Amino acid sequence: MRVFWYTARRLLYVIPQVIGISLVTFVVVRLLPSNPAYALAGPAATQETIDTIEKRLGLNQPIWVQYGKYVRDLAHGDLGSSFVSGRSVLSDIGQRLPATLELLVLGLFFAFLIGVPLGVLSALGRGRRIAGRASLGYGLLAGAIPDFWLGLILVYVLYTKLKVAPAPLGQLSPSVPTPRHVTGAVALDALITGNWVAFKSALGHLVLPLITLVFVYMAPIVKYTRSSVEDVYYGSEFIQQYRVNGLSHRAIVMRALRNGLPPVITIVGVLFGFLLGGLVLIEQVFAWGGFGQYAVQAITNSDFSAVEGFVVVAAIFNLIVYLIVDLLYFVVDPRLRAGVT
Amino acid sequence: MSTDTGPTASGQVVEQEVGHVDSALGAPLTVAVQRGELTQFVGFARTNRPFIVGLVIVAISIFLMAVGPLIGTRNPTTEDFNAILSGPTGAHWFGTDQNGRDVFSRVLAAPRIDVYIALVSTFFAMALGIPLGVLATGASRLGELAGEWLLRAMDVIQAFPVFILALALVAAFGPSALNVIIALTILQFPVFLRLTRGAALAARGRTYVEAGRLSGAGTLSVMFRHVLPNSIAPALVGASVAVAQAILITAGLSFVGAGIRPPTPEWGSMISDGAQSLITGQWWPSVFPGVALGVVVLGYALVGDGLRLYLDPSRRR
Repeated sequence: MRVFWYTARRLLYVIPQVIGISLVTFVVVRLLPSNPAYALAGPAATQETIDTIEKRLGLNQPIWVQYGKYVRDLAHGDLGSSFVSGRSVLSDIGQRLPATLELLVLGLFFAFLIGVPLGVLSALGRGRRIAGRASLGYGLLAGAIPDFWLGLILVYVLYTKLKVAPAPLGQLSPSVPTPRHVTGAVALDALITGNWVAFKSALGHLVLPLITLVFVYMAPIVKYTRSSVEDVYYGSEFIQQYRVNGLSHRAIVMRALRNGLPPVITIVGVLFGFLLGGLVLIEQVFAWGGFGQYAVQAITNSDFSAVEGFVVVAAIFNLIVYLIVDLLYFVVDPRLRAGVT
Repeated sequence: MSTDTGPTASGQVVEQEVGHVDSALGAPLTVAVQRGELTQFVGFARTNRPFIVGLVIVAISIFLMAVGPLIGTRNPTTEDFNAILSGPTGAHWFGTDQNGRDVFSRVLAAPRIDVYIALVSTFFAMALGIPLGVLATGASRLGELAGEWLLRAMDVIQAFPVFILALALVAAFGPSALNVIIALTILQFPVFLRLTRGAALAARGRTYVEAGRLSGAGTLSVMFRHVLPNSIAPALVGASVAVAQAILITAGLSFVGAGIRPPTPEWGSMISDGAQSLITGQWWPSVFPGVALGVVVLGYALVGDGLRLYLDPSRRR
């Protein structure tokens, strides 16, 4: 019941944020320098054609009327249509998003899987002095190396020189036909449909972007795990109690980890939100054809609706991720469930 | 900030900051500080090698920002079609790019753009965020309401993924150095606002602020003369990290063609320019600017870490 009320209150808080996001997006996109009517009409168009198009797009109406229409459409899930692809922005994004999500989810999964044990090891492991220093150095390095540059270096070493990785030209080799569409995520679709040729190719193409992603964005996970577990282990009385009770070191560490997990979950959530858009640089290097690249194309083409749709979807996605993070706190922190704060 | 001028242990007269400890009676108690602030700082820096490395890198980056375009071996934008993609040699230390431009000179000239944009945007973000952060603590009833609204507005700005908002803003204003600065300022001032507000809330309850108020100073005067100087430290530490972040974002924007465009020497666009050659085996046009970018970002991060450690001695280990 407590979870229900908490969720309800938390959802209520989302409403003004969505309104704020729609407002900011609307204002920013209206600032775009070029007039989409000119772009749509082409260079040879007469003033008359342009006027007609402006009327059709509603660009001749006062700005608040335009905003009202925009919000109404948004509430119906209508993000307008891209004048470059001629399709609705929602279906464009729906087509591009799975590629990004596949890379992102796998990347953060591995970063969590490797980063958390590394963090625990550098906080409480046997060689923790050296491991601690190493993790500090790694954190600084990962924070300073631009992800897109690391991706390029990996391509140079593993594709150009050693020829063990596939060319950085998308999610599949050009000779491999795309697997039947189920979810839109290529590797997952290949797995579901049992298309092993495509699956192998998709996995091969995932390796380099994944290494890039994990190397750069695992650093905050290691750092937060380390400091959080350290705080719990050395600063809590219940840990001492366990030791007095004669629990094994291993069991105590597991309990310290469980109690130190909330900040780590937060940082994974923050990374998820950041990377949904921030992945654009890695996508660009590997010609991934995902959500971020869609945004870059939309921006270079001054594609109003597409930019608007991208920013809104990304920001709302962000809100959902934060919501999930807050709810996960309930799962890992029994104090919240009991109402003790 | 209340300061105390007095002789130090070494006999010099140094203006020193005095730690504020509230005594049981509620009167400010002056803690005798043995050494001056500067001596203490130098002492700390001397034992912290990463901090020194960071300071040196930061100093070099600022030096290059000032004179970088002048000290390269060639003109950074001159194209030489007789030396396209030549490897590192005595004539071109870092080789040349696909337009025959000298990579070494371009790497040295880039801080004029990258470091400049980062420093200026961080300065503006602080100039905007710090006073607003103090005001957002809301000393009056009206201020409280305004502060609440200000924070909600910051929530909205921060709900956007950082890089996406930067991309959208630069696209909206058009790609130019000035517009990148504006976008970064909008992006980063909420961070300083929050940092300062947190510290200001803590400072507001201190005795010396109370004393200022009781002595009849106006609300604004108390805020800016007593609260602000005592809540600026977190923002100063955050500044170094913000500069590092700004350099990375500027380079990222230019990498996707939304920030600074060639032929202007800029690390991100140089890496992007060289990407095609990198795949065919000419590594130098992309590798050198990437290394320079990484080293400079690392420098600012090290300084940020050092400052945080210095201002929060409980974390020194």
